[in-house]
Amino acid sequence: MSTTTLPQRGKEAAGTATQAPEATPPGGVRGLLARPAFMGFLVVVVALVVGAVAADSGTWPKALTFDVKGPLDDVSNWLTDNRAKSPLFLYFLLHISNWSEGGVDYVFTFLNSLGWLGVTALATAVSWYVAGAGLRMRSLRIALLTLCTFAAFGVLGLWDYAMATLALMVLAVAVSAVIGVLLGLVAGLSDRGERVLRPVFDTMQVMPAFAYLLPLVLIFGIGSPAALVSTVIYAAPPMARLTALGLRGADAAALEASRSLGAGAWQRLWTARLPLARREMLLGLNQTIMMALSMVVMASVIGSGGLGDKIYQALSKDNVGMALVAGVCIVLIAIWLDRVTAAAGDQLEAPAAPARVGGDTGAVSLEKAIGWLAWGAFVAFGALGALFGPIGERSWPIDWTTTVSAPLTEGIESFTGAISDGVPVLGGTDVWAAHFTSWVLNPMREAMQAAPWWGVLLLVAVIAWMVGSWRAGLTSILSLSVIGVLGLWHKSMDTLSQVIVSVLCTLVVGVLIGIVAARSRWVMRLIRPVLDVMQTMPQFVYLVPVVALVGVGRPAAILAAVVYALPAVIRITAQGLRSVDPAAMEASRSLGGTAWQQLRQVQLPLARPSLMLACNQGVVLVLAIVVIGGLVGGGALGYDVVYGLQKSDLGVGLSAGVAIVCLGLMLDRLTQSAGSTGKRGGTK
Amino acid sequence: MSETAEATATADNKNADEHGAQTGPVFSVRNLWKVFGPKADRVPGDPGVTGLSQAELREKTGCTAAVRDVSFDVHKGEVFVVMGLSGSGKSTLVRCLTRLIEPTAGTLEFNGEDVISMGKDALRRLRRHRASMVFQNFGLLPHRSVLDNVAYGLEIQGVAKAERRERAAEMVAKVGLEGLGDRRPGQLSGGQQQRVGLARALAVDPEVLLFDEPFSALDPLIRRDMQEEVIRLHREEGRTMVFITHDLSEALRLGDRIALMRDGEVVQLGTPEEIVANPADDYVRDFVRDVPREQVISVRRAMRKAEATEQETGAALAPDTLVADAIETVARSGESCRVVENGRTIGVVDDARLLSVVAGLDTAQDDGDGEPKEVAAV
Repeated sequence: MSTTTLPQRGKEAAGTATQAPEATPPGGVRGLLARPAFMGFLVVVVALVVGAVAADSGTWPKALTFDVKGPLDDVSNWLTDNRAKSPLFLYFLLHISNWSEGGVDYVFTFLNSLGWLGVTALATAVSWYVAGAGLRMRSLRIALLTLCTFAAFGVLGLWDYAMATLALMVLAVAVSAVIGVLLGLVAGLSDRGERVLRPVFDTMQVMPAFAYLLPLVLIFGIGSPAALVSTVIYAAPPMARLTALGLRGADAAALEASRSLGAGAWQRLWTARLPLARREMLLGLNQTIMMALSMVVMASVIGSGGLGDKIYQALSKDNVGMALVAGVCIVLIAIWLDRVTAAAGDQLEAPAAPARVGGDTGAVSLEKAIGWLAWGAFVAFGALGALFGPIGERSWPIDWTTTVSAPLTEGIESFTGAISDGVPVLGGTDVWAAHFTSWVLNPMREAMQAAPWWGVLLLVAVIAWMVGSWRAGLTSILSLSVIGVLGLWHKSMDTLSQVIVSVLCTLVVGVLIGIVAARSRWVMRLIRPVLDVMQTMPQFVYLVPVVALVGVGRPAAILAAVVYALPAVIRITAQGLRSVDPAAMEASRSLGGTAWQQLRQVQLPLARPSLMLACNQGVVLVLAIVVIGGLVGGGALGYDVVYGLQKSDLGVGLSAGVAIVCLGLMLDRLTQSAGSTGKRGGTK
Repeated sequence: MSETAEATATADNKNADEHGAQTGPVFSVRNLWKVFGPKADRVPGDPGVTGLSQAELREKTGCTAAVRDVSFDVHKGEVFVVMGLSGSGKSTLVRCLTRLIEPTAGTLEFNGEDVISMGKDALRRLRRHRASMVFQNFGLLPHRSVLDNVAYGLEIQGVAKAERRERAAEMVAKVGLEGLGDRRPGQLSGGQQQRVGLARALAVDPEVLLFDEPFSALDPLIRRDMQEEVIRLHREEGRTMVFITHDLSEALRLGDRIALMRDGEVVQLGTPEEIVANPADDYVRDFVRDVPREQVISVRRAMRKAEATEQETGAALAPDTLVADAIETVARSGESCRVVENGRTIGVVDDARLLSVVAGLDTAQDDGDGEPKEVAAV
């Protein structure tokens, strides 16, 4: 979800789906040899192999590192000592902290005071209303979905946890949306604003959220303020981005018409600009909500509580059943929120037929009356429930819950135990994971760690230069150098090896499925709902099933990363192949090309920008999960971040975080060809 | 805007209106320039560059002169057409009239009021009440119903909801969209959308309607419908209109007078007949070559002096009868016809004269004649 859907959907909204294909270089090996860049690439690879054999260790030289641990510990100490003294805290940060704490508490108390029935009724009514109210199928279905979601919280015995998550969500989404709209207005209305904000948004998009949790913890301490602030930082950019996109993409003729009628600047903004951007803004809200959910769940690592905490604890206790139950609740919230905002979007696109045209006014007013009656019934029921009887309990009645987690854990354990190593001939998941580790991951890691550091730098520079521009090369080299200087070369190569393996797996599987989906309508129809659900799920949730399957360790992190990045890659590939100019396809068919020839000679070359984008997205998404994999035994940089968080060790945690961001920047630049730069932004 | 202020503004409008009707043109444009580019304001005053062609100007100064030294008057009640190919600066010119694009140099008066020196509020009043525009791409707000789109101008003025809806409904009916008031623009055809645009412009009851290539995006048949709609509106209301188009036949159909633009300059300004019969240069001649001349030129231009015997014989025609109609009369009667003005025979048309109009042979002769040249030099 999150970062994936943003550029992809944003692109759709901007309508820049088709892009003139760049001149493709002459194909074949001879063509490749003719390119100086490729020759350079070959030379570097040879040098790298020779260097790796010659030198026994390729790690970054000690002399070139800079010890950041000392200064960072100083900062950390200063922060701890001055939290109650420094004016920075007293007049600024403490206010934010108190305000967030108070806000979250307030919302939680409010939800609590409504009682379980009141909350369910309110959520159902609001969803029903947002989806267009009335008795239409659409709104009724949404209402039913809401009802089931909230009932599930109760039945699964996680009502209080769900409310804690929701309370944080409500506040985080509200704050993110407001900040996002304001920033979006700045970037959308002022060119200078856009020049300043655009790179910030771009960087935010490739930055794994995990990396910046630690500084926030040091400033705000463990608890809901840190969780809220990190969520807002993570979730506000899509809103800002899409608001700016909508404002800039507005129909120029309509704006001019408004001006020609004598509208002032404010009138123009209110009556034309903002309404014209409403579709993008709603899309932005949808993404903000989904990203906020993702982050609220992940922020359990820094004490946000709620469902995420349940997963976090269950994972650390190896209680798969509990984690799965909490995961199901989170997925339900995700689906519910996604569907409700999507329904609101549909409502904007195809509003209910106007009610004023004579004739059917009777039916319409009847529908309205029923609608109000339903509202009234909800409210009355909620109020009554709050006052009397078992339904008046604040929390979901204990008699109505089922304890599925214990039997579930048993069931899952017997199942995973059966397939872990008991499968004859094929082996089993654990066996596969072990083989994968020793045959693929370990050699890869050793090779990368053994390769001389200057060779890696050179290789990265040449690749970036080949794919994009010299600027991309420069950024990549600088990022890598920072990693080296921080003294994290060894660990970063470990993380990088995991990322590369995951990306390769993702791309192979994703592009294949994408091709099949693009060619067969039937397959597409089959996998689309699956992709929809997968793209709305928070990152954290992906860890649960993989741990159940392959146990903790690097394979789990990699499997989670692959599964997480797959939907985006499949989507972009299929979409790219499908949007290939039908005339070119027809020409190829009329010349008697076979399906394979069409694919190889027309579709794939023309869809190259999309494939590049898929690659880029795959890399960014995979990195985000591989890093979180530190929680389930992925080791390397991710583990450092987790360690830093748990021990509040700024020296270890922050430098690892910086290294992760650098890796992200480098990988992003390496896979971001000149062509796809414009695509990601959408506004160009 | 407060209600009283608005009332005074409308009263002012009325005064200015009556005033303008008596004394002068609605728009009076003199030496108007619009230059795009770095240090654009230096171009119009610099005698060294004002004479250069577009390409030379761009090379020398980096600027593009979209409108160069344009002067004309728009009279009350007329349809003034500005026509030219794309890039000739006509759309820029019409936007300069309400300063949607700020002119670089020159003077511009609206009913005798200096528009260039108008402050923000005065300019806003001008746009809100006195001149409204119809756009090529409609510029409708997709999230509003047709009725609310039409009422948009009134909403900007601050008219109360009930009143503006009522007036909007009137306008919707006026442009022939009864019953579609609750639709969204997206649910309408192109022609219907432009009717909404027209109704929106009419709703504020402006003195002048500005049309910026309003029908270019429409199918030929619909375009014809819409042109007839405009002609009908003009006949019923007599509103002053400035109409931008790149379509010559549209210009000839609608225009009382036509200003033909090329590279930002007005190359010829005159009635359709003058332009067709008496092109100012080769560019214009080339432009009007395929025009069916008999549909545009009147017998006044085709006639010759009557000989003594012809003074009293033959059917009588009014001087502004089109040649096409005269051909019919001459063919029916089989003899030459008299052109009669105020009971006096001022000339005669026979088959030879009419055929020479159709064949395009009359221009050379006109050049020798004193009278038409004088008209063409307007």
